[in-house]
Amino acid sequence: MKAQEQKRFDFVDVTLRDAHQCLWGTRMTTQMMTPILAEIDRAGYSVINILGGAVFDVCVRYLHENPWDRVKLLCERFSTPCDALTRGQSLYTFELFPDDVVTLNAQLLARLGVKVFTVYDALNDNRNLESSVKAGREAGMKINGWMTYTLSPVHTDAYYVERTRELLALGSDYLCIKDPTGLLTPERGATLFPAVVQACGGVPVQLHSHCQSALAPRVYEEAMKCGFAAGYTASEPLANGASLPATEEINAIARKLGFQTSLDEDSLREISGYFRWLCLREGKPCGQVAQYDPALYEHQIPGGMISNLHYQLGTMKLGHRLPEILEEVARVRKDLGYPIVVSPFAQYLVTQATINVVQGERYKTIPDEIRKYARGYYGRVAAPMSGEFLDRLNLKSNELVTERPGEHIEPGLPRLRRELGPGACDGDLLLAAFYDKALLVPLEKPKPEYRFRTSPLHELVAWMGQRRDIEHARIRFAGTEMTFSA
Amino acid sequence: MTERNLTYEDLMQIVELVRTTSQFSEFRLKVGDVEVSLKRANDAVRPAPMPRETPVREEAPAARHEKTQASFSENLHLVRSPMVGTFYRAAAPGQPPFVEVGQSVEPDSILCIIEVMKLMNSIEAGVRGTVRQVVVENAAAVEAGEVLVAIEPLA
Repeated sequence: MKAQEQKRFDFVDVTLRDAHQCLWGTRMTTQMMTPILAEIDRAGYSVINILGGAVFDVCVRYLHENPWDRVKLLCERFSTPCDALTRGQSLYTFELFPDDVVTLNAQLLARLGVKVFTVYDALNDNRNLESSVKAGREAGMKINGWMTYTLSPVHTDAYYVERTRELLALGSDYLCIKDPTGLLTPERGATLFPAVVQACGGVPVQLHSHCQSALAPRVYEEAMKCGFAAGYTASEPLANGASLPATEEINAIARKLGFQTSLDEDSLREISGYFRWLCLREGKPCGQVAQYDPALYEHQIPGGMISNLHYQLGTMKLGHRLPEILEEVARVRKDLGYPIVVSPFAQYLVTQATINVVQGERYKTIPDEIRKYARGYYGRVAAPMSGEFLDRLNLKSNELVTERPGEHIEPGLPRLRRELGPGACDGDLLLAAFYDKALLVPLEKPKPEYRFRTSPLHELVAWMGQRRDIEHARIRFAGTEMTFSA
Repeated sequence: MTERNLTYEDLMQIVELVRTTSQFSEFRLKVGDVEVSLKRANDAVRPAPMPRETPVREEAPAARHEKTQASFSENLHLVRSPMVGTFYRAAAPGQPPFVEVGQSVEPDSILCIIEVMKLMNSIEAGVRGTVRQVVVENAAAVEAGEVLVAIEPLA
């Protein structure tokens, strides 16, 4: 008698991308990553996510690292396939870029060693993925199509089945439901997940959900039961709260349900030990398990953004009006046709709500970006916009954009090639497309030395070496003795 | 060398102990197999004085407000900021300003941008006329209701 084949559940690591984006303001440097890469590679993840919009942007603006160098280094070090994520026609920033820039970006990522190319659009307008997908596939990468989950009367199960069909028609090799604010519940999963799995007809479906509402582990459990192939998780110290669930916890749930997973628990322990130590060494927070908060389902604003808003309002002496503004956010979202509360539209909603509340008259002032959004410049709006908003907006018919957003943008590479000269490499051309020259100057600084292995003892010695107050140290254990003097 | 003997938990405990004993010039720890002893440089034991932040002397917005918001001739159309924000005279750094003094404008001509919480609000003239004064410096913070540009309407 043939033993019944055991079902599998796979894991995609986000520790080097979304986890520190959520908990550390994306401030993990390449130097912090390199000592633990070999262990992450051994742990048994099916894919490792190494790049996303915020990682790219923070590398350039704050860490002064060339993001292409990081991508290349990580792809060389990992034998596990690496995944890079881009946001529609905006790639890493919030501007829209022309098709030639979008195409070159996919080609460069493939050349640097990226194997899985993840694409999504903040409006779920999948026309914004066409250029990326075409170029990514031609360059030999697997295509991973994401759709973004949100709560609204129009974002029904049928809506997501429709998006699923679009992503399949584009030629996605994998599909993923991305829940950026942790709004999914097991109850919603029980109807949504089977609908999407069925529509996928064998193309593997994955779940990417955050822990703001503390329900994510239960939502992952539901996804496993509904036939999802994989889930995105983070090493335990950088999981939970605004981040994704812990690999260790989801692995335990999968095994309890009888799934086979390829994770090595000793490796996971070593990795989480390193990251817990890194939090302490760098003075950065570990993820804390969030409390269930029903208010999240009303305003849908991520926790990090609320604290940022509170700070911004404080500088304008408006801190006391936060509750009013949060209520107005929900109304503005409805008026604007239920944009997903995710970058950059989260900021649009919050700013418009603040202006409405402070001016005491709704839509007396409408920011230019919101006007563009309403014109369809960034893509299709999910639901009809309210009459009150449209009256104030007073759009002329020739302002409306109905074609694919990439089509109204002039090619960018000919001008960049002229400016940078014939010797410019693709990475430099793209950086020049994304950023002002002045921002790129610090990227020229020499690279630091990278260590590619470590142990608690290595870390102890390195840490002591950094302390200026220590002039003499002796460490002895297990028959070994080390002495250092300043 | 059996490095596995020292775990990340041990490491974190040792580091916490070293940190919390920084006022002592000597430190010696023995836990199980592990022994750590340190000597600190004498002048390093006293914590270095924190660098004093030099208070930035900034003119109170209210004072500036009074100075620049002096009386305008009654026949001028005053374009005011809708919100607290930052005033910009051009669409992007390095680009020419939207308008100069003496320039004629239409009601829908854009005069400037007010940045509110990272979003850009184009401010239109509202009348046909001639720009007589640009009241605020480029990139200055403005209050809600502050006069930005004064326009002499076409009679």
